[in-house]
Amino acid sequence: MALTDSTAETSLYLIQARKKRNFYLLLMIFFMIVLILWVGIPILMAVMWSLVDPKNPWSYPNLFPPSFSLAQWKYVFDYTNIGRALRNSYSIAPLAVLLSFVLSLPTSYVLGRKKIPGKKFFMLVVLLPIIMPGMVVALFLSRVFTAFGLSQTFFGLVLAHTLMSMPYMIRVMTTSFQAIPQDVIDAAENLGANTFVKIRDIFLPMIRPGLLAGMIFAFTVSIEEFNLTFIIGTPTFETIPTILFSFMGYNFIRTNASVVALLMMTPNIIMLFIVERFLKSDYLAASLGKM
Amino acid sequence: MKEKKISPIDLLMLFPGVGFILLFIGSSIFLTLVQSFGLFSITGKSVFTLENWKAILQARESMDSLFFSLKMGLLSSVGTVVVAFPIALFFRKGGTGKGILGSIIKMPLFIPALVAAFLILNLISYSGLVNTVLMRLNLINEPLRMLNDKFGWGVVFIQIWKNLPFVLLIVMAALASIRDDTIDAAKNLGAGYWSILFRIFVPLAMPGILVSMILMFIKAFGDFPIVSVAGPIYPASMAARMHIMATIYQEWDQAAVLGVIIIVTAFIVIWAYSRFAELAKGEV
Repeated sequence: MALTDSTAETSLYLIQARKKRNFYLLLMIFFMIVLILWVGIPILMAVMWSLVDPKNPWSYPNLFPPSFSLAQWKYVFDYTNIGRALRNSYSIAPLAVLLSFVLSLPTSYVLGRKKIPGKKFFMLVVLLPIIMPGMVVALFLSRVFTAFGLSQTFFGLVLAHTLMSMPYMIRVMTTSFQAIPQDVIDAAENLGANTFVKIRDIFLPMIRPGLLAGMIFAFTVSIEEFNLTFIIGTPTFETIPTILFSFMGYNFIRTNASVVALLMMTPNIIMLFIVERFLKSDYLAASLGKM
Repeated sequence: MKEKKISPIDLLMLFPGVGFILLFIGSSIFLTLVQSFGLFSITGKSVFTLENWKAILQARESMDSLFFSLKMGLLSSVGTVVVAFPIALFFRKGGTGKGILGSIIKMPLFIPALVAAFLILNLISYSGLVNTVLMRLNLINEPLRMLNDKFGWGVVFIQIWKNLPFVLLIVMAALASIRDDTIDAAKNLGAGYWSILFRIFVPLAMPGILVSMILMFIKAFGDFPIVSVAGPIYPASMAARMHIMATIYQEWDQAAVLGVIIIVTAFIVIWAYSRFAELAKGEV
């Protein structure tokens, strides 16, 4: 008898547990649907707008465009400066990433591995380009740039983008330098490793993930940089964000803007999925989580 | 172990990074400051004057802009954290499908701000998806004005959509450092869901929450492109007003005054943050 009692009790527990799990599952499915709609619908709308057929316009009360065509894409490539803007954006970004890497490397090493006074101050200083409101820096930096003959030049834009991407680069690389255990370096030194061997066998492999994460952040910062480019570069150099801004300004052309918006975000999203594994939340959080 | 002096080699190695940033940001702050007092002026004579400050502080537009920008900064930062926190709690425990879901939710981080503005604009514009759906369901008779609205809800919504993943990453990392033991112990002592939420999760994640709120506030406060695309016609944001002042009216000195106000506000917010962070540390 005691046996059946306990079995009944157990099955009651099981039923309760199953109910709880079902509820949890339902909640999770609901959550997932909301999240997918949250990101998916805006993107889907842009895709549909970019495929609107100019002969069959899309207007209220149609939920979907009556017919699709690639005419908008052809129009944007034929009649706007998008080709040049794409070239500008994607030639400035790698150069800015490279320059900010070269400039950041020694600084991050010192900030990450050396005990120096005023480290907190330096860590705050490197955040300045993020902390300072972009338009203020852009307007008054443009005066400095004009004084040095850098505004409206390609090199000036590379310098500006480097400036904006450096906080991420330095912070992320500092965090990865910090994460190298001193024991490993001591052990290598005891075993007679010289500086070159230490760099090749310890520093490089151990900071590689952080370095990649920093480069990815720097690259996306450069691709989407607007304020400085708008002030220092236009009208001589148009990048994708400034051209998109011009489509969204006084003469708002939704279809053209959709094409440019998609052109601008597709590479970024592909990159996100490729590099997902380097982009563990720790990098951004660990490097920006403290001021 | 503790050294009191920086060796020359370390200083030399610090220079490329710190020096580059200090040179450019420092010079632009310096120029903003001195130009607001009429020195180094490019439009008129360079003499020390308080006229520009007077002109800006007396104009009703600048006060309206300041108030509007503060509102945008506050609502965007609070709104994003409020939306991000439950999602971060949801992601704290791994589970099937959460990996891919995590990538999807991270997408807006890699979508440039202007593109994000455009994507949301398609939804909330006068003839956008939300209005179309609501009208077809006969829930409203006339399209709602959500874009370029007087209050600025459109801007707030875009800011939340775009910056959610950024805040999420920081808050998630803060939550990940909370050990399950702490929660189990609280449960054993009879803590309910709400007291676990408000007495364990929120306080322990506070440093992350504060940093993300600070960065969000500064972004939304000093924003130019999103407000010019989705914001109200009047008032302009501080950054937009400064831009108009400088490039259209060619009143660079007055623009500098607005710039100084923006910078000072940013620094006050950061100072308040560090005070809060100390307080939070003291209490927990």
